[in-house]
Amino acid sequence: MAGVKMREFRRASARALADDKLQSFLGRSMGTFDGAREEAIEELSRQRWDELRERGRAIKRHTLDNLDYYLDMLCDRVSQNGGHTHFAKDSDEARRIVGEIARARGAKLAIKSKSMVSEEMELNPFLESMGVEPVETDLGEYIIQLAGEAPFHIIAPAMHKSKEDVGELFEKKGIGLPNLKEIEAMADAARVALRGKLIAADMGITGANFMVAETGTVALVTNEGNGRFCTSVPRTLVSIAGMEKIVPCLEDLAVFMRLLPRAATGQRISSYVTHVSGPRRPGDEDGPEEFHLVIVDNGRSNLLEDPDLREALYCIRCGACLNACPVYRKVGGHAYGWVYPGPIGAVVSPALAGLDKGKELPYASSLCGACKDVCPIKINIPHMLLKLRSSVAEGAERGGTKASLGERLAVKGYGWLMSRPRALSMARRLGRWMQWPVARRGLIRRAPVPPFSRWTRSRDLPALAPRPFRDLWRRELAEEE
Amino acid sequence: MVGKARIRASLFVTCLVDQLFPRVGVGVVRALRSQGVSVDFPPDQTCCGQPLFNSGFRKEAAALARRTLKSFAHSDRVVVPSGSCASMMKVFYPDLFRDDPEWGPLARDLSGRVHEFSQFMVNVLGVTDVGAAYEGRVAYHPSCHLLRELGAVDEPVSLLNGVKGLERVELPEAGVCCGFGGGFSVKHAGISEAMLKDKVDNVVGTGARAVASCDAGCLMQIGGGLSRRGADVRAVHLAEILGGVA
Amino acid sequence: MAQGLGTPRGEFIASVRRRLGRRAGAPDSPYPALGEELASLEERGRQAMRRLQEGRGALMARMAATAELRGWRVCRAANSEEALDYLRETIQGLSARLAVRSHEEVFRETPVDDLLAGMGVRVQVMARGDDREGGFDPASADVGITGADYAIAETGTVVLVPRRGVSRLVSLLPPVHVALVRGPEVVEGLDDLYLFRRLEYHRRGGDMGSYMNFVTGPSRTADIEQTLVIGAHGPRETHMIILEG
Repeated sequence: MAGVKMREFRRASARALADDKLQSFLGRSMGTFDGAREEAIEELSRQRWDELRERGRAIKRHTLDNLDYYLDMLCDRVSQNGGHTHFAKDSDEARRIVGEIARARGAKLAIKSKSMVSEEMELNPFLESMGVEPVETDLGEYIIQLAGEAPFHIIAPAMHKSKEDVGELFEKKGIGLPNLKEIEAMADAARVALRGKLIAADMGITGANFMVAETGTVALVTNEGNGRFCTSVPRTLVSIAGMEKIVPCLEDLAVFMRLLPRAATGQRISSYVTHVSGPRRPGDEDGPEEFHLVIVDNGRSNLLEDPDLREALYCIRCGACLNACPVYRKVGGHAYGWVYPGPIGAVVSPALAGLDKGKELPYASSLCGACKDVCPIKINIPHMLLKLRSSVAEGAERGGTKASLGERLAVKGYGWLMSRPRALSMARRLGRWMQWPVARRGLIRRAPVPPFSRWTRSRDLPALAPRPFRDLWRRELAEEE
Repeated sequence: MVGKARIRASLFVTCLVDQLFPRVGVGVVRALRSQGVSVDFPPDQTCCGQPLFNSGFRKEAAALARRTLKSFAHSDRVVVPSGSCASMMKVFYPDLFRDDPEWGPLARDLSGRVHEFSQFMVNVLGVTDVGAAYEGRVAYHPSCHLLRELGAVDEPVSLLNGVKGLERVELPEAGVCCGFGGGFSVKHAGISEAMLKDKVDNVVGTGARAVASCDAGCLMQIGGGLSRRGADVRAVHLAEILGGVA
Repeated sequence: MAQGLGTPRGEFIASVRRRLGRRAGAPDSPYPALGEELASLEERGRQAMRRLQEGRGALMARMAATAELRGWRVCRAANSEEALDYLRETIQGLSARLAVRSHEEVFRETPVDDLLAGMGVRVQVMARGDDREGGFDPASADVGITGADYAIAETGTVVLVPRRGVSRLVSLLPPVHVALVRGPEVVEGLDDLYLFRRLEYHRRGGDMGSYMNFVTGPSRTADIEQTLVIGAHGPRETHMIILEG
């Protein structure tokens, strides 16, 4: 992880647009998940899908509205199972908790199953600094760990890497035989390289797709089987979860286990769903001796507190909104500059890392709403982006506006003009006079001043019409009545 | 309309149509009158405030919203030839004034009286064939707000299907945004252009003579892209076709 | 480490409550499922059992069909002879030398050890507790054989929970996994499964064991160029033998 770079969205997106290789990859690949999801929904029937979405949404709404109550219950039940719960208010505290557990158990090698929270808290460098080797075991995460990059996509972190990229990377890092050409051979090389680590690890670190308050259970959804290794082999198991991941009742999982894989990859179910309810019991043949659950706030309270933004915490991290977003499909995941890209990232990242750092992201959207359409929890992302934009523009929180002076002046000017029809009509005449040198047959091909010049880089701009509609109405249409 | 009270509608023409595409307004008036609707045009209307609201300036947007609420306080129904402006008035005005004891009730009241043009034709008037004629192949681009805030999937299509001589062709990836997005089109011009390129490719690929939509913003974007490319395809508003002024 | 590290629990939860603007205590609108009495759960469990019983035949067919779609190789066996026949063919195709299996009841009805020994395959059984002289090395095994606690027809899933004599590793480490599923273990859908497990949790006074694993076909990854590769960290080949007799 290379820190928070959300402010650079404009520059990073320009770079992405100019990157031919990336563009050709995005054009080729971004529809795949989308198509698979649609197919899975059709198979289930759209009506059934919408029923499930409504149920999922209702469960999440209830849980988040009463989150303190369910956190308390979860904590009780985890202890009843023989596990330990730790609470972290921010990344720093979360890192120190995991570090302390590793130190107390003398851990040297930690195998990790994909966890976005651990990306968020930059756990790996921290573990390295204290002499613990963290090994990502999800193939995609493993690749970006080797490459030292941030995830490109929530569920497919290394999707931007071609097989040639991966082959080169593996060769550089000595994974497998040199000069690997086939994807299967690369996956096999990674499997072989990781197998020894998986067996030898003394600590397992996982995220959590869901936590069940009723039974103190953590549920993990994976395809590779690495999640099962992390929860079965090492002596100590640590699961790290954002505090919003709770559902009240075990039976609620029946809803989410149908929603998540279909929305994410179009699978009817993932190959493995692992439910962990504490450490091994007396009489179990194997499994971790200790189970720790680390529950992280790290800015989630900012979303929780605002009734307009709370539903961002309903997110089950399926990535469907990324796949459907026309902006993400043009700029890719890295342009967003932090752990959570795409539409949901544009809401969550500024709240987690601070609106100051993330003020660009709510504007990284045409507000088309495709994200809301595909969201398995029907999260209204565009409405939240609008809300965040108002926080940026009006500086409702954290002292003052974040909008530029130019923008504020333009807004004031527009508002003033639109409140005064006579001034508007004069401005129009002025505009007609000013556009005269550049307008040809009703079109402006090259406007000399911003923001119009930015428009005409690639598009013609319609000129002000000879007469506005209101004149046509007065002169001709009103009398027809 | 014999035997029925005449339906009255006020036109909110939107600032883009007023200033840039007045013919769209003419089309709306002609189409409505062809169905016996009595149309009026409150003269002090300007902008619904959407550009400011979408940029995050809610206070300034609210000022324009209050103006608009006043302009249409006495209208039976308000017809808007724009999915996004209609969304602003139907969906976001009540949100903007939700805690305002004075303007909140007015906003909620207007919300129920506002109709996007195609929805008004099909759902209020109950017509899909207005007797219009237009020769040639036409592709339909559903604008995002009309599609996703107002849920209009079939209305514009059935109106196009009712036009004599018009052959409707399917637009590939029709529901994908054209990249306009108001301020987005200049704030993130590069991304907007990239999205537009796909849309223009798809439109040109249909071999249509025109691409129809229900939002001046999309028409400005798609039309601007088509003419810059020198493509022989026009971007027209549905109302222009229905009103016989395309 | 009995004491939590980081922010004290009470403080953390109070802060969440404050940010929510909520009073302490149970939700205003209670969650009906959580208030359910054990008797009512038991009743729902009985209803589900009856439904499953009545639709047994169709259920087996659905189980087999979905499992196949999810990547299992499926054998519907009318009796244990048929099951052993299938296992023989499977093992023949593998050139296996070492098999591991868990210690479960299903192997009493379907004795696989003699068959395997007869084919020259050494069998290690997950022995109870510390009685492990026979050795038990799933990491070196060519095939792992397990029973199932449940199987879900909706998803083609085998469900494994902890028992004495059952290792989590038998279905994970060897490249080939064979699961023996008995008819009564098959449930219709995820709802049934979670209901039964929930019932078990409450019947046992708040414990349902340390884990529950859903296994649905082989392990897979599509992390490079979205190209599906079968056989990541878990087995690349999975067989489901459904004992319908």
